[in-house]
Amino acid sequence: MKIKRRATRADVPSMAMGDIAFNLLIFFVILARAQDDSHLQWTPAEASNLESAGHSIISVLIDSDEKLYLNGQPIGESNLEMKIEELLGNSPPGDRTVLLKVHRDATALRFEPVIESISNAGGELVHIVEEDRDG
Amino acid sequence: MKIRRRSSNLLVEPPSSATGDIAFNLIVFFLVCASVQPDSGRRQVLPRSEETEQKQEKDKNVEVVVKRQVALVNGDVVPAAQFPARLAALLAGKPRPEDKVVVVKSDDDVPYHFWMTVTSQIEDAGGIITLQIEEEREVQVP
Repeated sequence: MKIKRRATRADVPSMAMGDIAFNLLIFFVILARAQDDSHLQWTPAEASNLESAGHSIISVLIDSDEKLYLNGQPIGESNLEMKIEELLGNSPPGDRTVLLKVHRDATALRFEPVIESISNAGGELVHIVEEDRDG
Repeated sequence: MKIRRRSSNLLVEPPSSATGDIAFNLIVFFLVCASVQPDSGRRQVLPRSEETEQKQEKDKNVEVVVKRQVALVNGDVVPAAQFPARLAALLAGKPRPEDKVVVVKSDDDVPYHFWMTVTSQIEDAGGIITLQIEEEREVQVP
């Protein structure tokens, strides 16, 4: 006599999927925060004829207190050029984009030396601004 | 006759199986909200700084001095409305790129938004921006 084997359904337990996704997300958010400057306070200026900034690994920001940050980390003006040079390395033209985010009321005394440093380090400068809707 | 409602001593807990999913969706929502940052901008090509002054070349180029609320073109105060036309006229007869260089000199207290407006108008008029920054030098007096 043949005894039939009882077929049992083998499902992957899906109970903990939400928790796993949640923990993964937290992990990646914390990782991304290290190079992020979204927590800094600044208001962009306005300009016309804007284009997409494209991909960049370097972001320089002057916040509303006129403090200088490189990729979300505070930095001194004197070290900026050297640090940007280090980060850009031997990147070819087109991959040397440096995003510059300056608070709209920051003064030339603060932002002009930063622009000069980016230029001297061989960065391709993109001012992050908002579209001027008033023309 | 009164019928007594059956009271159970079991602990009633809200279902917790979906908490992870709810948290996940909340995080995605807040991430999307937080990532609304401008990613458009204006590309600006600036030549590397030179320490030697090119006096003769500089004399030929258009010079724009940016003050706190006004811009001067070759020493003349130009109202904001006339600024693009004035620059276009000055740069019109200059076909060579080296002649289109516009030397921009700013006062220390010029706000970034005004500086951006002026430099954008220079670029839109076909000018190539060069910043003239005064260097600070420390001199020790004996």
